[in-house]
Amino acid sequence: MEEEKKEVAVDAAAAPAAENAAAGVEGTEGAEPKRAERGGISRRGLFIGVGSTVALLGLGSLRYAGHNPLNRPPGGTDEAHLVSGCIRCERCYEACPRKVIVPAKIEDGLLGMRSPMLDFNTGNYCDFCYEENGGNPQCVAVCPTDALELPAAYTVGNPETGETGDVIIGIAEIDPRTCLAYRMTGCRDCFDACKYGAIELKDEGGANPIPYVVEDRCNGCGACQAACLSLSSGSIKSTERAIVVRPIEA
Amino acid sequence: MKTKNLRTIIAAVVFGAMAFGLVAGVSTGTLSGFGWDTIAALCPLGALGTMIATKTMIPRAVISLVIMAALVLLVGRAFCAWLCPTTLIYRIRDYFRSPKKRKALAEQKNSEIKAISQQELEGLHAAMGKGAGAKGDAEGGHACGVCGKCQPVKHGKLDSRHGVLAGALLSTAVFGFPVFCLVCPVGLTFATVLVLWRAFSAGDATIGIILIPAMLIIEIVFLRKWCTRFCPLSALMNLVGRFSRTFVPVINDEKCLETAKGASCSKCAEVCEFDINLRHPDFGELTTADCTRCRACVDACPTKAITMPLFAPAKKGTVEVLEPTLEDLEPKLD
Repeated sequence: MEEEKKEVAVDAAAAPAAENAAAGVEGTEGAEPKRAERGGISRRGLFIGVGSTVALLGLGSLRYAGHNPLNRPPGGTDEAHLVSGCIRCERCYEACPRKVIVPAKIEDGLLGMRSPMLDFNTGNYCDFCYEENGGNPQCVAVCPTDALELPAAYTVGNPETGETGDVIIGIAEIDPRTCLAYRMTGCRDCFDACKYGAIELKDEGGANPIPYVVEDRCNGCGACQAACLSLSSGSIKSTERAIVVRPIEA
Repeated sequence: MKTKNLRTIIAAVVFGAMAFGLVAGVSTGTLSGFGWDTIAALCPLGALGTMIATKTMIPRAVISLVIMAALVLLVGRAFCAWLCPTTLIYRIRDYFRSPKKRKALAEQKNSEIKAISQQELEGLHAAMGKGAGAKGDAEGGHACGVCGKCQPVKHGKLDSRHGVLAGALLSTAVFGFPVFCLVCPVGLTFATVLVLWRAFSAGDATIGIILIPAMLIIEIVFLRKWCTRFCPLSALMNLVGRFSRTFVPVINDEKCLETAKGASCSKCAEVCEFDINLRHPDFGELTTADCTRCRACVDACPTKAITMPLFAPAKKGTVEVLEPTLEDLEPKLD
């Protein structure tokens, strides 16, 4: 994008020169101030217009560059629809009562920059606003462009009954190389955090219970990832927690 | 208090409140989608973009567009002077300019505008010298058609901004997402606040901390006269603003130094931050179609000849504002 921006900047820098050239051609009035031309587009105008159009088309082609898959807020799992609709107005960040919606970083791809994603490493997770708004996600409600959109009828995960619901953010995945339970520490924080019975233990009640994910019960709420302490306990070299929610790739 | 200071304060307070809301999670939205709960006044360009990209009618976007069009019809591009954070950034940039540079810029603008004014006055005197009173109007006592004053104001039809707007919408239609939103300076300003806040509050390190403000600076510093020559939002508002007839500044020719005393002044043109020459409209880069109702000209006029009435008083048959027709909206390339 830097390059494209520069391109426009160059056009802008070239514009005064073009203006002078234009004045030179028409220069019958000598040094007298030039009447602004109306009813036509000046050469500089053409430069800026065409240059910017080219730059914006270049920027648009980012669509094909794509970006890393991200965990989207409820109603944002149709990636193509979200990218088309989101105008980066930042209302969903504000609306989220648990503050798990954060702007996507440039590192994950320019196309997705500043679009909403869920960050469960904040120590909080998405309960689909079950507690705060009776299961009617606030982010979806405030989204003014319907970029976050749920079908007319839907059920969200119910932490009281343990129902998974049909709004799925992603599926949790355990990395055995970094999971503390695999090191015989007896850690079962993710199992305790899951309200939908999506994590079960091998050798439950034994000395070393090891968690695994039951995929069709997981709705990607992120409670397990929020509770995981693999990065803060034990000197394990990794950039992410041992249990993370992965978006479902279409 | 000078209106300029008032404007700075209003824009700063609104920006501050929204930025605070953004980091504190008060759900009031930013300038891109201001509102409460499910109500939102959407940015008109964003509303257009998102509807083109998704190829669907979005009720909130349509309502926002109608409201915005009505507001622009009432007060023109007032958003630009009173709310837009870009104007605020320009103000900050001006503040940090050295007094020397500030003086040089002011002198340059002054001499430019003075030259226009003098040229127009000379033309006027020449016409009067010839004794051509035939077409002279009773009030000014000079021949019409010589100075800009008596010529109909033709609002600029389309300029470079409309090219940028067309490019933005074209790219949105082709690639199916609101492309300009990625680089919109209003959005980038709020994004800067958010990315800096997250860097400090959540230790969230990203290239964005540098890249987002850098993009903003490139647009505002390197693309000279962003608001007049580039901003597609300003282009969109211009398309409606040209039909606005309310609160448009008018000069009382009996008081104006140039018409009443024949002295070269054009202070109104000199102070206009949006490149409009109210006295000699033909020489401004923009016309009152782009007036932001910033009142700089009203404040600056030495004889208090400029007012912004609710409706412009009926002209005495000399100056008439041409209604642009649909044909005028067609781009004409030379």
